[in-house]
Amino acid sequence: MAQKLGWIVIFALMALGLVAWIFQLQQGLVLTNMRNSYTWGLYIAGLAFFVGNAAGGLVLSSLIYLFGVEHLKPFAKIGALTAFANVSAAMISVLPDLGRPDRIYNLFLHPKISSPLIWDVAVLSLYALLCLVYLYLLMLPDLKGPWARVALKVKNPREFSQKVAKALAPFSLVAAVGIHVITAWIFATQGARDWWHTGVLAPDFVAAALASGTAVVLIVSLVAYGLKEEYRRAYRTMTLIIAGALFVHLFLMYNDIVIHAWYGSAEHLDTLSILFRDYLFAHLFEVVAPLAAVILLLSERVRNHAGAMIASCCLLLAGILVHRFLLMPGAFDKIAFTFTPLGLQKHEWSFPIASGRYDLVLDTFVTKWAYFPSVVETTIFLGVVAFACFVIMAAIRELPIVDRVSP
Amino acid sequence: MRRGMVIDLEKCIGCRSCAVACKQHNGQPAGMWWNRVFTPGSEFHGVPPEKGRMFFLPVHCQHCQNAPCEKVCPVDATYRHADGSILVDFERCIGCRYCMAACPYGVRQFNWEDPSQAMQRYGYQPGYRYGYPRDYRLQGRLVYVPLRPKGVVEKCNFCVHYLALGLEPACVRACPGNARLVGDLDDPQSEISRLIRENNGFTLLPEKGTRPTVFYLPPRRKEV
Repeated sequence: MAQKLGWIVIFALMALGLVAWIFQLQQGLVLTNMRNSYTWGLYIAGLAFFVGNAAGGLVLSSLIYLFGVEHLKPFAKIGALTAFANVSAAMISVLPDLGRPDRIYNLFLHPKISSPLIWDVAVLSLYALLCLVYLYLLMLPDLKGPWARVALKVKNPREFSQKVAKALAPFSLVAAVGIHVITAWIFATQGARDWWHTGVLAPDFVAAALASGTAVVLIVSLVAYGLKEEYRRAYRTMTLIIAGALFVHLFLMYNDIVIHAWYGSAEHLDTLSILFRDYLFAHLFEVVAPLAAVILLLSERVRNHAGAMIASCCLLLAGILVHRFLLMPGAFDKIAFTFTPLGLQKHEWSFPIASGRYDLVLDTFVTKWAYFPSVVETTIFLGVVAFACFVIMAAIRELPIVDRVSP
Repeated sequence: MRRGMVIDLEKCIGCRSCAVACKQHNGQPAGMWWNRVFTPGSEFHGVPPEKGRMFFLPVHCQHCQNAPCEKVCPVDATYRHADGSILVDFERCIGCRYCMAACPYGVRQFNWEDPSQAMQRYGYQPGYRYGYPRDYRLQGRLVYVPLRPKGVVEKCNFCVHYLALGLEPACVRACPGNARLVGDLDDPQSEISRLIRENNGFTLLPEKGTRPTVFYLPPRRKEV
């Protein structure tokens, strides 16, 4: 019954998201709450969020096949599956951000090599493909019944699968680190936006991704396998990875903030004031929620309840989602073209931007725009979340992802 | 040949004629402004920020030599023409708005909706049209269209469609103070090279390393 309800909710959210997108295609991005001064919002934050969640595949395959952590092996397939689902969701969540998705073929006809967005398209597609290959290899020994037709004919499937998986592990590690680093470079390369233009963004992106990606694997594993005794050690390992990665992420984030706050240049103080004044509660949440989740996960009592562990992981994901959303205000709530006018002692004056959107109350030229996703944006984003859940649930239902009998 | 512009802030009277002429000539949809003029340091346009200290700053695309917008465009829709100006191909743009995030000057504008819909929303008289009426292609690439497609980015195109007719950009022709001048930055003997050299010409946001081809001549004291 609960499962049936789950499917209904997922299909409903996907359908609603699709309808919202079609409506937006018809009317234009005027249905979003973005403006000329605030050009990226929830859709691009969604890209960062889903790319981060796709880290799970990397963690497991590299730990198992490069570092020999054998007790994680039953979860390798779940890792590859969640990685595929999230990296696909990441690519899909960019589509509604495009004003002309019908011209997307230009990415292949006229790619510009200097654009980090092209690098990202390439590395995300490659990673999605690698995840599929990985998943196929790991399922190979269990492809029976109707699936036997697509199974590669090899003498000893189990041995073959392990051998090739091991050989692929270093490549998947590079590709998996690559998706986070290159997605971060989309932002970090932009000198126009002080909030993004820092060398710490890419490593921080990897750290946050290791935390959220592993949390996704842990949630799906708990739902699929439950809290059986033989898996406790594996869950404990995942918990430690989440905790370690989160601490590194918090360290990298505050390291950057302290350095800029101490030097105190007007541009950086302006940017930081957005985080600590305008978005104080969101900032507190992005720090406190994952931290609380990790403390809970590290406690023995919470680890005795599958439900409590899943709830903690969800709390962590919520915190990381807010963290990804906070990529935008720091960059767009402050006009990039800010300077000290000639001959004046007064500092920091922002040159207004044409909003590009008719508003009865608002001025034609604006210096600040409080962005919050519109109903259409939120609906489409939820649709993409539902899509990721759909891929994971459908694959687990139809494919030999979960070992029915414990090994 | 590197086509550049010089704007003499001493001669600028802050009338915003350039913004208006630019909007009209280039058929910019409701809410679009390729050119904008403000009074730096003050809260409102035309209000002196300090007694006796007022100047105006007209800003349009700076046609940078190290243009982040050009480098981030994933499909080469924003590209550099042979004379150095940065153009947008209306047929190529996929509307990802990466260039808008990349541009530090805030000169790029997005067609959030169908332009005729926007005209209605703003309450223009039905059927009112303005702007250079024909499409203009430069070496096959659509760099000007009177009726903009929904969902693409646009900005100042240095009036390439007028250049082809041997005319100066609309803002240059319309400036009542004759504050704007276009010329060859590569030629040290050109009028604009001389003006920049002799009058301490400067560029905007030099710390961003974009190397604009639009130069400004500093104003002296302004009467209020």
